[in-house]
Amino acid sequence: MLRKSALFAVAAGLAMAVASHGAEAAAKIKIGFLPGVVDPFYQVMQLGVEAAAKDLVIDVVTQIPPTWGVDAETPILDAMVARGDLNYIITAPVDRDQMVGPLKAAADAGIKVVTVDTFLGDGDYVNGPVKFPLSYIGSDNTEGGRIAARGLAKAIGGKGTVYINSTNPNVSSVEGREKGFKEAMAKDYPNIKVLGPDYNLDDPNKAAQQTAAVLQRNPDLAGVFGTNVFSAQGAGTAVVNAGLGGHVQVVAYDATKLAIELMDKGVVTLVLAQKPFDMGYMAVQFAAADAAGVTSLPRRVETGFAIIDKNNVKDPAIARFIYSVPGK
Amino acid sequence: MTDRGSRIALPAGAAPSAGETPTQRLALLLSRIWAWLFLALMVLFFVVAVPLASGGAVNFLTIRNSQNILVAIIPVLLLGLGQTFVIISAGIDLSVGWVMSLGSVLSALGLRWAFNSGAPLFPAVVVGLIAGVAGAAVVGFVNGVIIAKLKVPAFIVTLGTSFIVRGVAYLMSENTTVIGLPAGIRAYGNDAVLYYIHGEGGGLYFLNRPDVGGDLLRRMDTILPYPVIATAFVVAYAMFLLGKTQFGRHTYAIGGGMEAAVRTGIPVDRHIIKVYALSAATAGIAGFLSTLRFTAGSAVIGDPLLLSSIAAVIIGGVSMFGGAGTVTGTVIGALIVAVLTTGLVMLNVEAFWQFIVVGTVVIVAVLIDQSRDLITGRQRGGPAT
Repeated sequence: MLRKSALFAVAAGLAMAVASHGAEAAAKIKIGFLPGVVDPFYQVMQLGVEAAAKDLVIDVVTQIPPTWGVDAETPILDAMVARGDLNYIITAPVDRDQMVGPLKAAADAGIKVVTVDTFLGDGDYVNGPVKFPLSYIGSDNTEGGRIAARGLAKAIGGKGTVYINSTNPNVSSVEGREKGFKEAMAKDYPNIKVLGPDYNLDDPNKAAQQTAAVLQRNPDLAGVFGTNVFSAQGAGTAVVNAGLGGHVQVVAYDATKLAIELMDKGVVTLVLAQKPFDMGYMAVQFAAADAAGVTSLPRRVETGFAIIDKNNVKDPAIARFIYSVPGK
Repeated sequence: MTDRGSRIALPAGAAPSAGETPTQRLALLLSRIWAWLFLALMVLFFVVAVPLASGGAVNFLTIRNSQNILVAIIPVLLLGLGQTFVIISAGIDLSVGWVMSLGSVLSALGLRWAFNSGAPLFPAVVVGLIAGVAGAAVVGFVNGVIIAKLKVPAFIVTLGTSFIVRGVAYLMSENTTVIGLPAGIRAYGNDAVLYYIHGEGGGLYFLNRPDVGGDLLRRMDTILPYPVIATAFVVAYAMFLLGKTQFGRHTYAIGGGMEAAVRTGIPVDRHIIKVYALSAATAGIAGFLSTLRFTAGSAVIGDPLLLSSIAAVIIGGVSMFGGAGTVTGTVIGALIVAVLTTGLVMLNVEAFWQFIVVGTVVIVAVLIDQSRDLITGRQRGGPAT
């Protein structure tokens, strides 16, 4: 767990370590980047990876699974390992238990693993059950869930029924958000009833359907928490389609352009932006630092949030965290 | 991909091949072996292109890569095996994807229950296997009964049961991955018959995974993991069943013409039930092996594989009209799909291209299948599904 100041120190130290080994540090390493699925969050992460690769002059091989699941991620991972020319793999494991085996096999083959956004086991690579990855770089999703809960509770006046729409079970990131959300509600807002989570398997259409069904069953539903890109998208769309925009408050995790649009329309109250660019950039830096001989890399880096609401969405210091990819 | 199955002689106009010209014979030969040729050409392409694209850093024909491909084809191949029998009998089984998921969930639950009740590891694994396969076979049995006795088209029945099975799989897994399985099963799902360590200090190890670390571990290749061996046995048995037994002959007969089969005294209804139970059972095995590999049961693992399994079967030469095809063909079809995916990743081309290529190859396969009869002027028959 790092505070912001410590984070700066680490980043500065890294930059110096890598720069000072400058000449031979392009210790010609090759990195594989294997995110979870095609979506704006990972696309911004890819921008971060590519920016760092350019700055540090490192080759990156990128493959993005077409769907979210171990059946899609594992064959691509295996093929990347079989290439034989990768030194590091930066990946978002799509299941915190099932991906342990395949990623351990990659580590056994000599490829060091950095996990971004999601973790393996319990995320504690020092004392936890899974110890082989180099580091876990991602948001504190449990805290993010708590922030979402408090934001939603405030927006609905501290009482009512709310609903969680999520993506996949056993995925560390959304699990953390659900947990944090429920914890904060149970502790601080006992008058709020929490429904769900339903799992939309990362399909915004399903998210919309599920949310629409809940809206029908609970005509007095006060709020919805969409735990990631597609959940927030689908849930927000369902609220708009039901004509309840502005009456049902939506909190969206992940700042896609659509989420921001919905916020402008008054459908979404609060958007939590993660920092995928940071995750991607730092992961590449960590790989370069490790290759250059640094042994004191933190095993856990929290990348923080930007909390966006209609008051600060126009502020460029905040708006820069909206997930946008040039040309899309 | 040779037509070893007996195509029942069809009414009027179905003369044997006496009068084919050499060109026709060549065309027929090509139409039978085109999948082999395509696979060979594809492998050749990747063997040449991958080192070129990576500046000599990456090679396609490595031990590790070949083993990856073998492991990658297991689920598609197992689903395809059952599907082969079903499609040869002029049916289709759209439920195999979700049945595999159900198999994965049931074997995980069964394994966990047995182990937590005090059973040692191996019997617990056996319990898991039985739970997964038996549960799957029940679904297949139900499919077969409705198709055979109630005469509902297979397409509709299996589509319906696929939804039901999906719900059951979610319910039984309580909407999450089934975890908490004993760590020892990872060895069953991932250990192998042979281990080979390249270079210095290396060697070939039989059955016992060498307990090494560091550089030696890095140079170790796992050859023929247990799931590959298990799948090989299932494939061999399926080949025997289809090609050499009465069960196989009856399957071809039913696919070639339902009425003719009934008239020759084949117990068609019972046979259809067995075929669908078999199809579901192979899906159950696939689910069980997946649970071992990932040490968890997953209710969503089978869904994307259904269409790939059908594609593999069609590319392999099984006719959608029934009555023709072999297990070997399905193996080739599954290999084509897996080699393609692996090769594209090694070429660092976006994996999405695999979908475009596979779809194209499927259409080509069907065209070639249809053209075979144009070449010989034979009448095509067999009931529509």
